[in-house]
Amino acid sequence: MSDNRLIETEGLHKVYRTGTVETPALRGVDLELHSGEFTAIAGPSGSGKSTLLHLLGGLDRPTSGETFLEGRAMSKLSKDELAKLRLTRIGFVFQAYNLIPVLTVLENTAFVLELQGVVRAERIERARKILAELGIEQYADRYPNRISGGEQQRVAVARAVVAGPSIVLADEPTANLDSGTSLELIDLMRRLNSEKGATFLFATHDSRLLDRVSRLITLEDGRITSDETR
Amino acid sequence: MKAAIRHLKRNRGRSILTLLAVLIPVYSLVVMFGLAGGNLRDMFDTATRLDTGHLQIRHAERRGMGSALPLIKDPDEIISTLDRIEGIAWRTLRLDLPAIASVGERSQAIVVQGVVPEEIDPISSMRGLILAGRYLTSKDEGVVIGEELAKLLKIDVGDEMVILGVHPETGVGALKVPILGIYSTPAAAMGRTIIQAPLDVARRLAHSIAGATAVVVRVAGVTGPWDARRIDRVVAELRAILPSDYEVLDWRRLAPQVASYMAIIKPALFIFAAVFFGLGALVVLNTVYLSVIERTRELGLIISLGASQWRVIRMILLEAGILSATGAVYGALAGVSLVWIVEAFGGLPLPAAFSSMMKAIGMNPVLHLRVSFSQVALSAAAMAGVAVIAAWYPARRASRLEPVEAMRYVG
Ligand SMILES: Nc1ncnc2c1ncn2[C@@H]1O[C@H](COP(=O)(O)OP(=O)(O)OP(=O)(O)O)[C@@H](O)[C@H]1O
Ligand SMILES: [Mg+2]
Repeated sequence: MSDNRLIETEGLHKVYRTGTVETPALRGVDLELHSGEFTAIAGPSGSGKSTLLHLLGGLDRPTSGETFLEGRAMSKLSKDELAKLRLTRIGFVFQAYNLIPVLTVLENTAFVLELQGVVRAERIERARKILAELGIEQYADRYPNRISGGEQQRVAVARAVVAGPSIVLADEPTANLDSGTSLELIDLMRRLNSEKGATFLFATHDSRLLDRVSRLITLEDGRITSDETR
Repeated sequence: MKAAIRHLKRNRGRSILTLLAVLIPVYSLVVMFGLAGGNLRDMFDTATRLDTGHLQIRHAERRGMGSALPLIKDPDEIISTLDRIEGIAWRTLRLDLPAIASVGERSQAIVVQGVVPEEIDPISSMRGLILAGRYLTSKDEGVVIGEELAKLLKIDVGDEMVILGVHPETGVGALKVPILGIYSTPAAAMGRTIIQAPLDVARRLAHSIAGATAVVVRVAGVTGPWDARRIDRVVAELRAILPSDYEVLDWRRLAPQVASYMAIIKPALFIFAAVFFGLGALVVLNTVYLSVIERTRELGLIISLGASQWRVIRMILLEAGILSATGAVYGALAGVSLVWIVEAFGGLPLPAAFSSMMKAIGMNPVLHLRVSFSQVALSAAAMAGVAVIAAWYPARRASRLEPVEAMRYVG
């Protein structure tokens, strides 16, 4: 397994400081993630799931510890290098507000390609292709506020995978969706995982999602308490 | 670019405010430039046409002349020199002589300007200023005087007055002359003191058959003080070739009011521009800043997805740039249109109360506007540039947002 090791963390600690109050969110997380995995991080509210995802995705920096993405130590990267790493290696799906309101579905999907400097014709083509694969090409020219929440999340998934990242990090992607829509979204991501080998890491409470992952990591109080592969 | 324009459309009110923050200063500045330029041209014109020319050649001053100018005994020598050099549009002889005009008990200190009426006619606006009677010809034995002097001496066209000319080189001369015409000028002081006579009349008064006190010269291709370099070139050339008996005076010496007006108006315009640019910049900074705050979450998303800091800065500056450029172009167009319309209607007459005041200080009571292309382009470009610089601060703030925090932001 170690030959396809994607992410490795060593003793990740994160302490939030607001004024004089210190909130420890992570207290020493050691973790290995591999390409092709479909993993969920579960745990009670406040256990540090989002915090861990942010650190793995280079959105925030740990108080101590280190994350290696494809062998590179992330703490050594500058702000712009981290941004570049997010842009090229990581896809994000957030709980809500995933899309830029002034851009159409197609433009939102193509946005990361634009940031990467892909020429217009190619990024439009690639964005259309992924929208078609996910069965949402009919919304291509609509603005985000003209489609449903479930559809918005699918567009977010499309945007997350369009540039072929090493891993997609999704924080509670189904939290705002009803049960049917959630299942559709989960199926879609599973398909991307099994058919294209896309790697996913979720932070979620959603049991429907937890039932469908191949690996389940449980966080409690900032520590990993169980890690089972199924 | 498309996204930037959509952003701007989404908050129309604020975009319009930003646009106005650039448009209004540019417009105002163009109009100010127009007023200052028009005024300057009027002053320059009044001074150089009616009175001083662009430059004069005089006999180098000797001691003990009082207010009189030294006589040039042989001005034809200068005329033939002038005819040999390039860039001279026009020249004429003049004999200015301090004198006393009297009618009965009343008298007034005056200056007699002996001129060649046929020569000054195409240049001088004097003929157009004649209110009553007629203008001179060189054969005339009479004079034209200003309405102010006519009022002081209580005389009218057809009446006679005695002129007592006093020149330190030739002594006293007296003549009784009829009033042929009365002129009216914006410059009240001139109307009170300057009378014009044919050159021969003045020469008789000064006891000098061929003399003059100045050769008045206009240089080709000069429309205002902005063309001063052409004049300077001719002045330098004349100084080099004329005998040292003669001195060459340019308009700066002859019409110091124009030069001092220029000296005042430049810093005034500069301060005006600075204040307006400063205010415009503050408004731009404020509106761009507000738009950054309002879009914190969206900016957080964009940064999360991997946009570099420079990319975010560029995005904000592009929006500010589009608005500023549009505002600057429309401001310049509006300003130029106003100038153009005012000039198409022959200038802007001032209200009566103002106009007499303006006349009293020797200015034209009709406002004219004049701007140069470079003034307009510079105002527009400078303001647009200032606006984009003002947007730099909020743009930089935007680029430094922490993605996680920014995405959690609730406006
Ligand atoms: N920006 C912050 N400032 C201060 N404390 C924070 C901040 N973000 C998170 N925390 C604290 O850190 C701890 C972990 O938070 P985190 O959001 O990672 O938990 P979570 O497992 O994602 O919870 P949830 O299931 O509710 O999303 C919590 O105690 C939380 O209050
Ligand atoms: Mg969370």
